[in-house]
Amino acid sequence: MNRIDQLSAPLLVCWQLTRDCDLACLHCCTDSAPGKRLPDELDAAEAIRLAGDIAAQGVPYVMLCGGEPMVVPHFFALAETLGRAGVQLKIETNGQRFDAASARRLAALPIRSIQVSLDGDTQEVYERQRPGASLARAHAACRAAHDAGLPLEITFAPSRLNVDEAERVIERALALGAFRFNTGALMRIGTAARQWHRLEPSPSQYEGFRAMLDRQSRSLAGKLELCYEPFTVSDGLRASLAVPPATLLVLPNGWVKVAAALPQICADLRRQTLSQAWEAYRSAWRGDTVAGLVQGAVTDPLRHAQANTWQSLVVVPF
Amino acid sequence: MNESNVTIETAKSADQIKTEKAKPAQKPAWETPKLEDVSEQVMAQPYIRFT
Repeated sequence: MNRIDQLSAPLLVCWQLTRDCDLACLHCCTDSAPGKRLPDELDAAEAIRLAGDIAAQGVPYVMLCGGEPMVVPHFFALAETLGRAGVQLKIETNGQRFDAASARRLAALPIRSIQVSLDGDTQEVYERQRPGASLARAHAACRAAHDAGLPLEITFAPSRLNVDEAERVIERALALGAFRFNTGALMRIGTAARQWHRLEPSPSQYEGFRAMLDRQSRSLAGKLELCYEPFTVSDGLRASLAVPPATLLVLPNGWVKVAAALPQICADLRRQTLSQAWEAYRSAWRGDTVAGLVQGAVTDPLRHAQANTWQSLVVVPF
Repeated sequence: MNESNVTIETAKSADQIKTEKAKPAQKPAWETPKLEDVSEQVMAQPYIRFT
């Protein structure tokens, strides 16, 4: 029996609130950009209802991400609905509009992580990967979070454009008071898949990157957690075959994915309760179909590029 | 504070306890998710970890 078959609810709901974003990053794995809001995204009332359902089912931890979650008009209402019900939260943001007022408001909630993307340590390199973005604003967001007493986490998506600044970003994360630096191999999904020829780090860049991560991980032990294993999406998928993750990835329209890096959908939270979606997810992982799909994605990473072409998995009708 | 050391234990409701006592062989032994389990889940999934 899988561990997920013993759990009354998922341990984690990773909720992509929108495809809309105030940036158009070259490495984006969700195909998000300005104006990319999907026509069928959950509206405020639907989202609040889902947040209440998540809390009622006893889900301990929810990640709010996107796109950029803070462009969603009901972002704070959602965070407060979940947080005031005791659900611990992680907020993933590019930091372009996360200010001191935002930090103070969120500090009243049970926040486990404010994750800010710092994909470079100079404006020139950062903006190469995040056109039009301000590194100063991202740094200010980090300071606002830390000053408000919020746990700060830094994420870094390596590419051939920025990997040479990775070590400086680690030093920056430490100086900004972060508790964790989070990275891994660039994922060939979404915008990144289309920009792969411009972004993919060379083998020697990856070799140097991983050696630096190993060295800094030892050097900064007890000061800053460096998280970079499993390193690739394939590594993560392979592990999920042995232990299916107790995670529901919810898309902006309420659909639920079987696995983050696969395109298949097993439930629709616009029409189903969270409990029904959880049962559909567990049922999907009990069958051979999902195992075959995951194995296929492990052996052929090019399939990851299809992750955002959502399609129904016909295992449990919904 | 970080993700590795926070734990929330959710108390079982009276109904849950009653159900477990009444029909132990017929009901699944549901495990209430606990926050201490979560970090490993998050970190084991690169897509989730650093979208």
